[in-house]
Amino acid sequence: MTDIPGHLPHRYPFLLVDRIIEREPGLRVVAEKLVTAGEPHLQGHFPDRPLVPGVLLLEMLAQAAGFLEADALHGRAVFLAGVQDARFKAPALPGDRLRMEVALEGAFGGVMKVRGTVTCEGREVCAASLMVKRP
Amino acid sequence: MTDLKQRVKEMIIDRLKLEGMTPDQIEDQAPLFGEGLGLDSIDALELVLGIEQVFGVKIEDEASGTKAFRSVEALTAFIAEHAKA
Repeated sequence: MTDIPGHLPHRYPFLLVDRIIEREPGLRVVAEKLVTAGEPHLQGHFPDRPLVPGVLLLEMLAQAAGFLEADALHGRAVFLAGVQDARFKAPALPGDRLRMEVALEGAFGGVMKVRGTVTCEGREVCAASLMVKRP
Repeated sequence: MTDLKQRVKEMIIDRLKLEGMTPDQIEDQAPLFGEGLGLDSIDALELVLGIEQVFGVKIEDEASGTKAFRSVEALTAFIAEHAKA
């Protein structure tokens, strides 16, 4: 079991990783996030039909990518530097157990590129490539 | 070499989605970063991945990258040298 708040500096309501399932630093990470109706951003998005915003799905992938780094990120800035080919294919709803998978495509000059997918029970919710500026 | 230089320019345009740009608009000697094409560190990673995919040449560290990315001419020479193996 990975100590999530010990690794990421993010906190409620913006810590969007609940569990690390698999982790090979520098290669790939599989993480989980459980969506609940009580989350603050779902109160207004939307009042009658709670739906996880697409940008937060990208943020979930970015936070999962933080676990590609072997060391804890506290005190060191890691920034989302780019998003490519993002697709949102199905809604993510309260009760969903989201599985975020990120795999390293390459790294150079302090920037890493990862390919990420968010799935729920085998159905693809989101796919995107992210560029992350490393510490 | 001229042919390879042309393919390098095409790869740069394709990989960085420099829409509307043609190979002959990229000067052989112009720096790729800063002045010249004005690329940034994210573009650098894209180029590293593109060079590996298209030409099978790996740029392992920043030192060789800095050398290879000086200009299209430098990059073409780098690829020609390392693709021989």
